[in-house]
Amino acid sequence: MNKTKHALFSYSFIFPSALLTLVLGIYPIAWAFRYMFYDYKGFGTARFTGLANFSRILKDTQFWDSVVNTFVYAGGKLLITIPLALLLAAILNRGLRGRQLLRGIFFMPTVISTAVMAVVFFTIFNSYNGILNQFLIRSGLSDSGVDWLGPKYAMLTVILVAAWGAVGNYMLLFLAGLQNIPEDVYEASSLDGAGKIQQFRYVTLPMLGPVMQMVIMLAIITALKGYESIMVLTEGGPVGKTEVMFLYLYKLFFPVGGGSAAVQVQEFGYGSAVAFVSAVIVGMISLIYFYASRRMNQTD
Amino acid sequence: MRLRTILGKIILWIFLLAVAFITVIPVVITILGSFKTNAELTAGATFLPESWHFSNYAEAWSQANFSRYTLNSLIVSLATVAGTLLVSSMAAYVVDRMDFAGKKLYIGLQSFTMFVAVGAVVLRPQFDLMVKLHLHNSLWGVILILISAHASIFFILFSFMKGIPRELDEAALIDGCSPGRTFWRIILPLLGPGLGVGALFTFRGAWNEYLLPLVFTMTKPELQTLTVGLANLKYGISAASQTHYMMAGACLSILPILVAYLFANKSFMQMTAGSLKG
Repeated sequence: MNKTKHALFSYSFIFPSALLTLVLGIYPIAWAFRYMFYDYKGFGTARFTGLANFSRILKDTQFWDSVVNTFVYAGGKLLITIPLALLLAAILNRGLRGRQLLRGIFFMPTVISTAVMAVVFFTIFNSYNGILNQFLIRSGLSDSGVDWLGPKYAMLTVILVAAWGAVGNYMLLFLAGLQNIPEDVYEASSLDGAGKIQQFRYVTLPMLGPVMQMVIMLAIITALKGYESIMVLTEGGPVGKTEVMFLYLYKLFFPVGGGSAAVQVQEFGYGSAVAFVSAVIVGMISLIYFYASRRMNQTD
Repeated sequence: MRLRTILGKIILWIFLLAVAFITVIPVVITILGSFKTNAELTAGATFLPESWHFSNYAEAWSQANFSRYTLNSLIVSLATVAGTLLVSSMAAYVVDRMDFAGKKLYIGLQSFTMFVAVGAVVLRPQFDLMVKLHLHNSLWGVILILISAHASIFFILFSFMKGIPRELDEAALIDGCSPGRTFWRIILPLLGPGLGVGALFTFRGAWNEYLLPLVFTMTKPELQTLTVGLANLKYGISAASQTHYMMAGACLSILPILVAYLFANKSFMQMTAGSLKG
């Protein structure tokens, strides 16, 4: 086969994939990049306003509240997810009866739709006729139930639901990392008289370092970007208590008027600028984490 | 020492069983709840249903329109799986086996789309694009966008492709087989396991997808998928009186993926690093 035919064949095979990626993956990013300098509400003509959208962001307290909420949400989720996932992985890595079954159980939430589980958790945590509160009242554990989705506890509930769906995933990534630690390191350490907990502290943790760094990085990014379950569970409410960055962003493009929400009109130009700032915030946090964890490695 | 290890084991198992219980209980509540009456559900007093109301499913199927939603979910998921596998296996084949200008650029493009997901913001331009192409009035818009996000499947198939010996293509070429025929007749059948894993992940993603179908069906309820229809029940005027439908609907959407998971547990567990959910 000659060269031209060869190349033609290659391009014809790669064409569908490349076209879809360019049109539906790359173009939308370029679109947002352009409109962040415009005043554009989705209809009429777009008006170039330079950096006006960005100075508006600086004064947008709703946005900054959502940034704070995002940090609380991501921090809370990580604080529960990472230690628990690591602990489960460490336990299930070594010879324990029934570990295959337990792994399967812990990983199960990851295959179920986030949105569907959010609906189910809504019926469980619902303050007035939720299953959990009815159970608490009937069994005498609480007089009037807990206002799970009220201003005080909504964020906690949202974090718990998110952790429920994520632990299994990180457990599995940790397990993959643990499997790369050679068995004889454990044998040597137990000959030296190290107990299970000492082994975990002095063998497992240090050797898992690079994997841990990667997994935590992934977890940070996913947590900062997550909003699907919050959207279904609380819509960002009550009174904006669970409004996170990307949910606020979504509402600028698709105003729904639910939750606290506050966004009534479509704001494509402003939304694009908010998207850019949000992406920069996520990127900055990842960078800070990246350098901090690298320095920690060096001092070890 | 003996006593300490036994005590340690007991604590360990209490911990493991507690976590397992918390993991399983919401799903169990859903399954059992789908057979209860609404009153029984919201009273929250029983664990097992007082009597098993299989009719919940029939009613959710017809009254809450879940037959329509299930059909839509199936169309979206199956079309997405077929499209994704076709598009990414063709690309993986030429990227692995052929040399052409722009190959590096293509790989860079795919890695870029995999790691830079801007979520909410790309939904809008994607939607407007589909309006311009007149595809927003059908499920094709959703399907095409889902197929376009095939980068991770491309990389999975790419690594499987490397495992198929090149001697086979060369032999086929000598026998007068064109590259296209080699792909269909030799490579695709040998790519079976890779395609299986790819299908599994794509199906899971498409079946569970919420935001895309939500955006595309805001004005067209007859196109809603299970996830969207179910979440909408929550916003219904009589949401409180429909909890049993919600549970039955949740089961309809959870069970297929759960069954697939039980059968393909191993592949899910091994290849999960390719999917970035969590």
